Amino acid sequence: MFSKPDSALVIVGHGSTLNPDSSGPTWEHADAITQLGAFGEVHCAFWKEEPSLRQVLHCVNKREIYVVPNFISEGYFTQTVIPRELGLNGPLTEIAGRTVKYCAPVGNHSRMSDLLLKRAASIAPGVSPKETSLFIVGHGTGLNDNSAVAAKREVERIRSLGLYGEVIAAYMEEDPLIAKWDELSTQPNVVVVPFFIADGLHSYEDIPVLLGIASTSPGAASATGAGVFTQNPYRLRGRTLFYANSIGTEEGFAEVILDQVAAFDAAAA
Amino acid sequence: MDTNAALANWLEKGGRHIGQIAIAKKDDGWELRHADDAGRDDLQLYTKTADARSLANLDDASAYRALKTAPNLRHGWRLILPDVASVRNALDAFYPAMLGVHLARERGEIVPVNLRDTLARQTGMYRITQKLTDAQSQALIAKSCRLDGGCLKTILWRISPELPVNSLPAEKFTTPGGGEWPLLCHEACNILVAEARKVVKGEVKEG
Repeated sequence: MFSKPDSALVIVGHGSTLNPDSSGPTWEHADAITQLGAFGEVHCAFWKEEPSLRQVLHCVNKREIYVVPNFISEGYFTQTVIPRELGLNGPLTEIAGRTVKYCAPVGNHSRMSDLLLKRAASIAPGVSPKETSLFIVGHGTGLNDNSAVAAKREVERIRSLGLYGEVIAAYMEEDPLIAKWDELSTQPNVVVVPFFIADGLHSYEDIPVLLGIASTSPGAASATGAGVFTQNPYRLRGRTLFYANSIGTEEGFAEVILDQVAAFDAAAA
Repeated sequence: MDTNAALANWLEKGGRHIGQIAIAKKDDGWELRHADDAGRDDLQLYTKTADARSLANLDDASAYRALKTAPNLRHGWRLILPDVASVRNALDAFYPAMLGVHLARERGEIVPVNLRDTLARQTGMYRITQKLTDAQSQALIAKSCRLDGGCLKTILWRISPELPVNSLPAEKFTTPGGGEWPLLCHEACNILVAEARKVVKGEVKEG
């Protein structure tokens, strides 16, 4: 059992000033880790919400602090924003007598492929994977955005297993566009898993419109009863389409966060 | 002293108010409610620390409260909690970081960061905020941080070493008395930085 009673864990999420559900999964993973008693303290911090990255270290009582970014990919936030706002100068930073250990983001973890497969299977029970096109949808574009790279990496891993008829990476804002899902795929069944941290603006409000399963943004999931995920399957464009919650809402993320702490220790040993 | 012990101390000494929340000692623990709801007996009862997060998330009109120190905490609830540790967790949800920041300030660990330094640190889409003029800064702060409708925190920073914020009344810069737990702003938040970007880009009317 993972136990660090003398250390604190800070899980960093993006958060949102527009969508009330963006920080939800990060809090839920923190709650799960608190329940496990794995750390002496567990905190969350956000770029767009409070506690902010500028506030959070003031709230920690322990002297040893592990920081795990709850982000899908290495990129602008994990390499520039989080270190800058927390005042980090590398994997290990001493700040006012405290040691901050900066771990890899959750999306880098090798277990992502298993979680994506689990999510894909659970959303389309009884549907033959061999007759299914599996889409992993990333954001694409943006500042030093490696989410597209991460999505491609997961697609290659899953494709190599030979379980699905086809496995396709697609994006909101760059080719191949998820809006063209019917042109990009050939199987009668289509499963779409958003490679995002939360069912926030992108996966709940934007991608359903791009897929054609909502004509306008439905509004925040918490305000509308998560309807877009409860109406599967969708029959449109001659196919049967299943739309899944963002991968970051998967319960297994709490274990991935702990794994990233263990990986930090292993690398430092 | 850790946060739970400091909060226990404060409660022991009679501390009962933080932001818009009133705290009361009850036979079965501690009760939190909106200070405006004093005397009401028709409040919906909640009993879990986790309820604090959902209570804090939406205002009376069910609109999202991105800024938890905005003066729009929803009404109509009371939260009964068994012990100080639960109260601490609930207050961390209602007013994130506000327990920790005040205690850090009492330990002498808080160094306020002036707005110019906050903006100078920005990269990417927010780098443009470095073009915000002093006059635009004053107007933006007056609009976004005002106690009535903006934010309940006490501002500890200046625009620059030589330029204080002079577009808000003095009460915005002094902590409340009467044993109230102060809500402190030691650095402009990202909501203000995002608004600064809109001002520089001409997307919002100034002032």
